[in-house]
Amino acid sequence: MVQSKKQKYTFLAFCLIPTFIMFSIFTLYPLFSGLYYSFFEWSGSSQDKTFIGFDNYIELFNDDIIPQTIYHDYFLVAAKVVGIMVLALFFAVALTQLKIKEAPFYRIVFFFPNIMSVVVIGILWAFIYNPSMGLVNSGLEAIGLESWTRAWLGNEDWALPSLILPSVWAGIGLFMLMLMGGIANVSKSYYEAAEIDGANEWQQFWKVTLPLVWPQIKISILYIVITTLNGSFIIVQVMTGGGPNNSTHVMGSYLYQQAFQQYNFGYGATIGVMILILSLITVMILQFLMRRERVEY
Amino acid sequence: MRRKRSVGQIMGRAGIRIPLILWTIAVLYPIIWMFIGSFKSNGEIYANPWGMPDQFNFDNFVQAWTDYSIDTSVFNSLIVTVLGALLTLVLAIPTAYAIERLRFRGSHLLFTVYIAAMMIPMVLGWIPLFFLLQQFNLLDNIYGLAMVYAVSQLPFTIFVLTSFMSTIPKSLEESASMDGLSPYGVLLKIITPLSMSGIITVTIMNTIQFWNEYFMALIFLQTEGNYTLALAIDYISSEAEYTNAWGTLFASLTIAIVPVIILYAIFQQRIAKGMTEGAIKG
Repeated sequence: MVQSKKQKYTFLAFCLIPTFIMFSIFTLYPLFSGLYYSFFEWSGSSQDKTFIGFDNYIELFNDDIIPQTIYHDYFLVAAKVVGIMVLALFFAVALTQLKIKEAPFYRIVFFFPNIMSVVVIGILWAFIYNPSMGLVNSGLEAIGLESWTRAWLGNEDWALPSLILPSVWAGIGLFMLMLMGGIANVSKSYYEAAEIDGANEWQQFWKVTLPLVWPQIKISILYIVITTLNGSFIIVQVMTGGGPNNSTHVMGSYLYQQAFQQYNFGYGATIGVMILILSLITVMILQFLMRRERVEY
Repeated sequence: MRRKRSVGQIMGRAGIRIPLILWTIAVLYPIIWMFIGSFKSNGEIYANPWGMPDQFNFDNFVQAWTDYSIDTSVFNSLIVTVLGALLTLVLAIPTAYAIERLRFRGSHLLFTVYIAAMMIPMVLGWIPLFFLLQQFNLLDNIYGLAMVYAVSQLPFTIFVLTSFMSTIPKSLEESASMDGLSPYGVLLKIITPLSMSGIITVTIMNTIQFWNEYFMALIFLQTEGNYTLALAIDYISSEAEYTNAWGTLFASLTIAIVPVIILYAIFQQRIAKGMTEGAIKG
């Protein structure tokens, strides 16, 4: 069938334009508009929106809580990268290299927390940390370490580290699967060759597995960093709300508090711009640091 | 050489199971315990939080359903999830097809714009979006939320569908249009059915995503009657600190998680594959 040019363009417009309009209204416009709002002081009603130039940014640099939130975010990033990658790599190697019959069972179980709602995970873990009924304190009492029990989420020093375990718990499965995919693609002949050369399993891991799944490791680390910087505030909001005494506030939860609880929408937008800039810079630095040549034998 | 190592290897095989079994317990125990807790009375939970109930009773579910009107929240969550997932498809399928098959000037750029949005922290956009929804009278409105959800999953959906459509042989479309089928017909009657597997995968994942979503609902919904399940649970949880209605809380957590478990039981492989591929290529 011969189509006229006009028919072709009409069809193309039909395919693309409605979607792009929706995308522009609900994604592109809000992002750019967020940049614009960061130059205003605004409590939400239309009358009192005043242009204040870079005052929000000056306030940002003088806000004592901001460095804390940044530190908390990167603390979670580092702890999650280490915790998730070590365990996920260990489990991935165990489930692929060692012939374990029930491997599919572990795979299915370990992945499940990845599709649980953060609300469910957060509430479940808040109960595990509950000072009087929680599993952690009951467990410590049971083994005679009563002096170690504490109000985990209510303690300024322990609240933030306590958020690591739920985050690792919730994240491991996905990265284990990504790494397993990488390991499955490594040809068996490399391992056979390594074995003939007398390499033990540990050496095989370091010399064969690790270099060859490096692309998957790199993507996993980047993915953990991005999702943590862009989304760590959700579990913080559910489990501690940023408290006690701001000791768990991350950038996103502080934005929520400033904008939607204290109605400093302009300042909230400024924090949003900071999150955007920091996450872009972090990703660029990471990509530079991890630019290791692809290994091919 | 194999024989020399066999004793050590057998020990290794047994030893390797210890961390695997420990992690299995770490994953399953809290979830199972949540189920058990939802059948216990509040007194029992307080006295013996980690044990089995004396007798299974459904009072907590009844209480969640009536006193905390979880029924309304379940209904709201269902509407948001189903509408959101359908709207995502309506918006994503034509665009994915056009980007993948109708090479046009700027198609690569358009694809890049959609994909880049997956990396950008959306939290910055939520402040303007709040006022935008207010202007459209869609704030505190589950239909507005469904729309926001649908658009938020567009990049991911377009991404998965384009890679899926690239595997469909071109000859099928060509012969269909030879037979006089219009491009709209090709899209609806050839491409959509042939992409069904990809469509099902993204739809399951979007469904789980929308059912679980918490933060946008927290910002964009305000009155209790419009709460989705995630918000209702959050509300019950903060109440429970004063009312000690832990049983009700567990019952509502159970209500939230059971549909996800059912979907996972049926589509386990699709979900795992979809998520890993989305992460790897994105």
